[in-house]
Amino acid sequence: MVKPAIATPAATNPFFPLPFLVISRRRETRDTVTLRLRPLSDVRLIAQPGQFMMLSVYGVGEVPISVSGLPRRPGELEHTIRAVGSVTRHLVALHPGDQIGVRGPFGTSWPLQLAHGQDVLLVAGGLGFAPLRSALLAILRERWRYRQVIVLYGARSPADLLYRRDLSRWLQRPDLVLRITVDHPDQYWRGQVGVVPNLIRQVTAFFEPANTVAMICGPEIMMRFTIRELQKHGIPDERIFLSLERNMQCAIGLCGHCQLGPFFLCKDGPVLPYSRLAPFSEIREF
Amino acid sequence: MSDRSVLELLATHPFTADLSEDQQAQLAACARIAHFEPDEYLLREGQPATAFYLIVSGLVSIEVFVPGHGPRPLQTVEGGSAVGWSWMLAPSRWEFDARALERTTAVVFDAERLRALFLEDCCLGLRLVQRLLFIVTERLRAARLQLLDLYGPPRER
Ligand SMILES: Cc1cc2nc3c(=O)[nH]c(=O)nc-3n(C[C@H](O)[C@H](O)[C@H](O)COP(=O)(O)OP(=O)(O)OC[C@H]3O[C@@H](n4cnc5c(N)ncnc54)[C@H](O)[C@@H]3O)c2cc1C
Ligand code: FES
Repeated sequence: MVKPAIATPAATNPFFPLPFLVISRRRETRDTVTLRLRPLSDVRLIAQPGQFMMLSVYGVGEVPISVSGLPRRPGELEHTIRAVGSVTRHLVALHPGDQIGVRGPFGTSWPLQLAHGQDVLLVAGGLGFAPLRSALLAILRERWRYRQVIVLYGARSPADLLYRRDLSRWLQRPDLVLRITVDHPDQYWRGQVGVVPNLIRQVTAFFEPANTVAMICGPEIMMRFTIRELQKHGIPDERIFLSLERNMQCAIGLCGHCQLGPFFLCKDGPVLPYSRLAPFSEIREF
Repeated sequence: MSDRSVLELLATHPFTADLSEDQQAQLAACARIAHFEPDEYLLREGQPATAFYLIVSGLVSIEVFVPGHGPRPLQTVEGGSAVGWSWMLAPSRWEFDARALERTTAVVFDAERLRALFLEDCCLGLRLVQRLLFIVTERLRAARLQLLDLYGPPRER
């Protein structure tokens, strides 16, 4: 039997989408689904948590989507997609058996190695939980490598919470501190109400700022306020990592679509330490 | 519960932990410990604001009652924070409801005695008013962020 080639972006043509089969579809919320994809070729695309793939629907277009899970079998990919426009609407409507094109992986990943032996604080807002979920799954798979693991998750409403089954399992784990809050509760919600940066104050007893690695993903305003709160509690800028999203096209640093200040977020990002971004904080887009 | 228990709680609560022992003792003289069961109200909109609450543990929902819909939670407040500042300003009536969502323990201050203490010891009064202002500012910022509907679809943001 021929051993499948393990592809890095350099080993495959980065402009050429490979065919993948949708093998499962899980509805997360009204407008969001999680798809598992299996390659139809022998080439395996190995993505790290934090990286993204370019997913294409034939005849419609191509969009960057983060990996949101870990492969159950070599070469599989998991993505959580929210329908906001033409391509994502098509992706969300896919079903097992449908085919799509995939290029990647692209960009930088979450600093999981740096976090070995450290407290880890993950702060997710809305769909920002998707790229952080893959980091969390990787952390939990090797839980012994990390000290305290703290996850703060804010969503718009209880109906917008992603990964409910995971959340209820994680809430039972004694080795994980998980706090969830919503902005707009329904009448059945008995949990916390308010914005996610407010949760940080509640968990300060669980982390040592100088030995903590924080990873944040969510709407940029939420990240801005989260950074301020983390700074207030003494986490150094070089230990605060963000995932930034910009519209992307080539995904390999050629077209300039994803530029933010001096960075091309498709290759310098999407994950960057705040210490690299802070000198450009006059860029109001961030 | 005795004053000593109130003192112990004030010595560890973030709102009062760094005050001097004398100041904590002055405050303890105006306070008692109270426990609230789930769904029990700490305070009700429109009623006279006669107390100030330091939440020690549990979870409290600040909410407004919407006719036809019932209580609408606006924010939750957890152990380590505070509830209620309407007692500082005329006409001293609560503007919202506050309801325990979990079993909640609070240090409850008598507002009249607290006001008198602030006038008597202006330095302590100013320090505590600054802290209250800090909490009010945090809540205002949180409320503004909630209004932005951050997690809504991009076009609706
Ligand atoms: C690195 C990276 C990772 C991403 N990961 C995910 C993910 O895991 N899951 C997911 O659902 N989406 C993710 N996105 C966002 C996703 O790429 C966009 O929603 C998608 O490109 C929209 O394309 P469309 O054709 O469906 O909509 P369009 O018709 O192109 O746009 C519809 C609306 O969405 C807005 N929009 C487009 N792109 C973005 C963006 N990047 N951020 C915010 N608003 C945008 C447009 O301004 C417009 O208002 C990621 C984006 C990047 C850059
Ligand atoms: S998407 Fe083309 S340079 Fe980044």
